[in-house]
Amino acid sequence: MKMKTKQLTLCAVLTAMALALSYVENFFPLSLAIPVPGIKLGLANIVTLFALYALGAGPAMMILIARCFLGAVFAGNMNALIFSVLGGVTAMLVMILLSQIRKLSVYGVSIGGAAAHNCGQVAAAVLTLGNTAPLYYLPILLGVSLFTGALTGLITACLFRALAHTHLMRGE
Amino acid sequence: MKRMPALKANRWDGAVAVLVVVLAVVCGVLIWGRTANAGELTVVVTADGQEVERVALDAFPDTPRAYSGNGYTLQVSTETDGKRGICVSVSDCPTQDCVHTGTITRAGQSIVCLPARISITLEGETASGDGPDLVIG
Repeated sequence: MKMKTKQLTLCAVLTAMALALSYVENFFPLSLAIPVPGIKLGLANIVTLFALYALGAGPAMMILIARCFLGAVFAGNMNALIFSVLGGVTAMLVMILLSQIRKLSVYGVSIGGAAAHNCGQVAAAVLTLGNTAPLYYLPILLGVSLFTGALTGLITACLFRALAHTHLMRGE
Repeated sequence: MKRMPALKANRWDGAVAVLVVVLAVVCGVLIWGRTANAGELTVVVTADGQEVERVALDAFPDTPRAYSGNGYTLQVSTETDGKRGICVSVSDCPTQDCVHTGTITRAGQSIVCLPARISITLEGETASGDGPDLVIG
């Protein structure tokens, strides 16, 4: 029961952090440099990746769904929900699969997740617009995911190093 | 803590990166390569999944034309600086990605406004075989 409460609290804190990161990345509009609809740094993926290794696939998926839903509610834009859910869930499924390959570091898992996220978002755009015009941006988005995935992988690796000796990492 | 991941990049991560690059190149060839730039270009505008305009680029009016969708309005105009193309000159959407995309000039290129659910695509003439192969006399 003690562990359950602790894990629930950690999930709530990570959800809040993911929401905050989603908001913060609006201050770094990547689309000004690369004019592609929906292009983002994907900073919230740091939390997803951290939760995947620290808590497991189930809690990480719950944090992701909660973040997507609350993000849409707080932004007052429920239309954005399909984009964040489809992108986020696709990324999560790919990262769960890649994290099973023990030889891959957080960088590889993060890059794979970023690429999958962009594929999911393009699929959401195709469904929303009802035509294949968004596919035009897929090659660019996949190329960009190399850099955004490496960046979120780097930050996640720094986070694990910083927390390596805390009670959180020792599972106390 | 379930598991401490490897924190240093290695050749396996490089393999994932190469895989993503290959995927991007294959998508690029399949998506961009199929759009030949021969013949007349056609502007196709869709809003909420419905085609609302199909007009030859050369016949598109020089004055901006407004298209609305999902509560937002886009002003679409032609650009003749260099090669003739089309762009979203003004939009009241929150992201402004459609405006930042700039001018599209080649077949297959698209301007997408996700908040307005509007897409503007340039279509080229495809070698469909509908026309005559040879004209004699």
